[in-house]
Amino acid sequence: MFLFIVKRFASTIPTILILMIISFVLMRLAPGSPFSGEKMPPPEVLANLEAKYGLDQPWFIQMWRYITKIIFHFDFGPSFVYKDISVNDIIDQGLPITFIYGSWSFLVANLVGIPLGMIAAIRHNTWIDYMAIGVSIGAAVLPNFIMAPILIIIFTLWLDWLPGGGWNNGAWPNVIMPVIALSTSYMAIIARLTRGSMLEVLNSNFIRTAKAKGLSSTTVIFRHALRPTLLPVLSYLGPAFVGMVTGSLVIDSIFVTGGIGQFFIQAAFSRDYSLLMGITILLGAVTVLFSTIVDILYAVLDPKIKL
Amino acid sequence: MTILNKKFTKAALVAVLAGATALTAFSASAAKHPVTGEELAADQTYTYRMLDGIPSLDPQIVEDVTGSEIIRDLFEGLLNQDAKGNLVPGVAMSWEPSEGNTVWTFKLRDNAKWSNGDSVTANDFVYAWRRAVDPKTASPYSWYMDIMSITNGADIIAGKKQPSELGVEAVDDYTFKVTLTKALPYFADMTAHSTTFPTHQATVEKFGEKWTQPENMVGNGAYKLTEWKIKETTTRVRSESYWNNDASILEKVVTLVIPDENVALTRYKAGEMDRTAVPAGQYPELLKELPKETLKFPRLCTYYYVFNVSDSAPEAFKNVDVRYALSYALDRNIIVEKVTKGGQIPAYTFTPAATAGFEVPTVDYGTWTQSERDAKAVKLLDGAGFNKENPLKFTLLYNTSEGHKKIATVAAQLWKSKLGAEVTLANQEWKTFLETRNNQNFEIARSGWCGDYNEASTFLDLFDSKHGNNDGLYASDAYDAEVRAASSSSNAAAHYKKAEEILAADMPLIPVYHYTGVVMLKETLKGYPIENVMLKTYSRNMYKVAK
Amino acid sequence: MIALNKQKREKTVEILSNVDLVKGRSLWQDAAVRFRKNKAAFVSVIILALMALLAVFGPYISVWSYEEIDWGLIGDAKANGQPSIENGHYFGVDNLGRDLFARTLQGTQISLMVGLIGAVVAVSIGLFWGAIAGYAGGRVDNIMMRIVDILMSIPSMFVIIIALAVLGKSIIVLFIVIGAIGWMDMARIVRGQTLAIKNKEYIEAAKSLGVSDQTIITRHVIPNLMGITVIYTSIMVPSLILTESFISFLGLGIQEPLTSWGALINEGAGQMQYGVPWQLGFPLAFFVVGLYCLIFIGDGLRDALDPKD
Repeated sequence: MFLFIVKRFASTIPTILILMIISFVLMRLAPGSPFSGEKMPPPEVLANLEAKYGLDQPWFIQMWRYITKIIFHFDFGPSFVYKDISVNDIIDQGLPITFIYGSWSFLVANLVGIPLGMIAAIRHNTWIDYMAIGVSIGAAVLPNFIMAPILIIIFTLWLDWLPGGGWNNGAWPNVIMPVIALSTSYMAIIARLTRGSMLEVLNSNFIRTAKAKGLSSTTVIFRHALRPTLLPVLSYLGPAFVGMVTGSLVIDSIFVTGGIGQFFIQAAFSRDYSLLMGITILLGAVTVLFSTIVDILYAVLDPKIKL
Repeated sequence: MTILNKKFTKAALVAVLAGATALTAFSASAAKHPVTGEELAADQTYTYRMLDGIPSLDPQIVEDVTGSEIIRDLFEGLLNQDAKGNLVPGVAMSWEPSEGNTVWTFKLRDNAKWSNGDSVTANDFVYAWRRAVDPKTASPYSWYMDIMSITNGADIIAGKKQPSELGVEAVDDYTFKVTLTKALPYFADMTAHSTTFPTHQATVEKFGEKWTQPENMVGNGAYKLTEWKIKETTTRVRSESYWNNDASILEKVVTLVIPDENVALTRYKAGEMDRTAVPAGQYPELLKELPKETLKFPRLCTYYYVFNVSDSAPEAFKNVDVRYALSYALDRNIIVEKVTKGGQIPAYTFTPAATAGFEVPTVDYGTWTQSERDAKAVKLLDGAGFNKENPLKFTLLYNTSEGHKKIATVAAQLWKSKLGAEVTLANQEWKTFLETRNNQNFEIARSGWCGDYNEASTFLDLFDSKHGNNDGLYASDAYDAEVRAASSSSNAAAHYKKAEEILAADMPLIPVYHYTGVVMLKETLKGYPIENVMLKTYSRNMYKVAK
Repeated sequence: MIALNKQKREKTVEILSNVDLVKGRSLWQDAAVRFRKNKAAFVSVIILALMALLAVFGPYISVWSYEEIDWGLIGDAKANGQPSIENGHYFGVDNLGRDLFARTLQGTQISLMVGLIGAVVAVSIGLFWGAIAGYAGGRVDNIMMRIVDILMSIPSMFVIIIALAVLGKSIIVLFIVIGAIGWMDMARIVRGQTLAIKNKEYIEAAKSLGVSDQTIITRHVIPNLMGITVIYTSIMVPSLILTESFISFLGLGIQEPLTSWGALINEGAGQMQYGVPWQLGFPLAFFVVGLYCLIFIGDGLRDALDPKD
């Protein structure tokens, strides 16, 4: 296990390096410039801007400079759009926010989703099952770009319980609506995966054997069925967690949380090369980290799985 | 429990506030506006919505309108504009052109202070203006200094001369002199723009790019920055060091970034803001619902469709009759009355009528009725060889946006139903769109242009054959001669009129409408300058009255 | 000796495959019977089929085309654009006076296609990628899954921008791109499940009999992944449909005047507060009903494919 962890962390480095190179090349392939606008700057002005941000150099020199700066100084460079601040500043400002509401959403999605799915599976084809499915689908059918404005209309305009947006340093009234809007669709998916997986497990031979031995159903479920049930759910939770803690454009832009999620889209659209690189690398690091954790958890849940 | 808690907090808050109000009651209740005598609200906080986070708060770097709005509070330039758009003294008390409008001398007040206590002198302006053209600053707006025609400006931007050679000079601490390459009668007006605002050299040099952060920034405006969270909010509070601080009434100005206009309206209605935009197409409804809060005013902006008339253009568009036909058949009234619905003004010329010193020429087709235009259009197109059997086919390019989509959809249907043209709609995300349009890879493309200063050249220069934003590559010697002559002429209006007539005759663009601004503004907020077509707002001129 | 052994092995493999084939066929037949017994799933199939038929043939009963503007109603949706039988706008009109009945049906065509084609692309790539990675294990697994990590980290919007710029804008490209984005989660889930399956007794038995890896994957591993695949697909399809709307909303998807459920819902959602509920209601109803159907079908399929039930 220890060796596995060491190996995996060693493989992280080439992974991130390849990610850097691919994203860098992709960015140069995309049409458009970070400095273009409705009022196109004259060529001389454009040349000055390109010189300032190093875009006048051949691409391999740019890439070399860029990558070495990250490795040796952990410096992602200046943002091309937010000209007064660096990419590091943007990440520093946005990431903690996203991490907080993302973690809460993850918690809520699991604490509601997994039990819901389990109950539905245990009471398969009874009204409890149908209700649980109904609830979980109901949560998923409203896309969050519809749910978010509705939440604001209800809780801000009508009831006047919660502020309609802003982060306010993470005060709980500001966190509630983003968490609801972000967690519901994940919750629905987790519930459905849990239900499907548990049904399969409950029908398998070893559970039947356990039941035949006369073990109480609580014991059967928590001792024997739970672990294998969670395996496929776990595969989903890795990317889901990454998805939640890196936030979402809809949540950030409708609830104005100031989180990092919106930049994944906006940096792409504004061709803010350094910002896009910065958050891509960040996302890559988190993704690799969580797939490692998920793999370790596999081995914990199913001792037969060799790492 | 949560509700209880919330209520409890609220009650506590009310109690505290009540106590505080009681303490200051004698001053708060007595506060009256010094001129109008209106009773002022106790809470002088003005909150408004921004569409997006601002890219920069550096006066020399800022490009966007919302950023400039904040910068006008944090910094003060030579001249300001009043509520009607007239020039009024800023740091400069008086200004005077000499040598036929080629040399401009500004006398600065001696009591203007930076927020760290330093005096604002002519040297600060010299520094800032050199900084604006310095290639090292790489200001995306340095071209503004170029069109101000300051001596050597263009060469410095191009790296051919040193910034120190710019035609600006601090004659003494309080006299600032600018030398121009050509006579520019409207030069003074251009100094109300944020690119020309002073910056504090020591601060910029000490902190580099980070000098605009709240903890570092030194400004000379009526307000100072206390908070800036890129995608969330900014806060500015009144500055004690501002020379005319006594006259400011608003204590605090807060901006909230809310990209979604409908959510912004919800929050406006919930009382979280004093100002927000009217969501597209909702002006008539909101006017009915909240007549006193829904405002409309003209802007110096034009929405238009540009034809590709370059060598790469489709053969059909090289025929002026086809361009006439498409322009005539585009029913502007339907677009402004049924689609945009914000009281926009149908456009038949490029320059908006609200532009100072601009006399709108009567172009023929602007005076006809729509059915006359339609009849003419069918005939012209028929003459060009296009009809129901051989329909005109082309692609209309626009950038992704709900508003542009609606207008393009209606335009396509108008052309289809009236002329039988087969129009393909193509939308592209912004940067790809710009690249496509700039490289003439289009047939007809959506465009919009807003004036940088209140003079017709800010519009008409655009169709100069040498202009970088002349995306259709329209080239006419007669037109170039008119706009170039206008800039130093004593009778510019006549040249502008002529230039517009040439545009109407050549039709390289279809003017669609002139913009209006439509905003929701709480009744308690006074002094928002809707009569200023450049919408140059200054928070120190605004105030909140008691309900 | 060796040759003989080989021959023997091949024979065993042959027998084994045949056995599997026979058993497999009966499994599918069984599944079909079981599926038909599941009322919710069966009704869902019928509703979805009706919806598809309506989308294809509906335009013939519609008075208006999906792109035509009713000039009498343009900009007048709130006052006069409500659903009406008399003027032929059964679902009302949008703010430009276009017929929502025709547009909803047209959007149904696009969205069902996006869901179907996107899912096929995503499932086939994800299933094989995940099964191979999980089954092979070790270095191969590590490399294959790191590739997934890398691809997941590249902002998908950027990939779409480039794909559309390089490959050109067409509905087909859009379908492929959407599917190509969706396969990675599938690959992970499949791979996780494969890790567990490959240690099962029957796989080890097949291995010891010398069955080739390829056969084990296609004959034993993938069939056992069906349950989870079906469940996840039924979850994925709605998200693909919404992804399309998001991509279109950002200007990279289908072009006006064509539309989709997502685009219509998005437009309607923007008008939520302004007294034209039918603009959101009808497209959303189609979307929700379609989604419920898919999920019930998914559950039905899963139950049907689980032979132990």
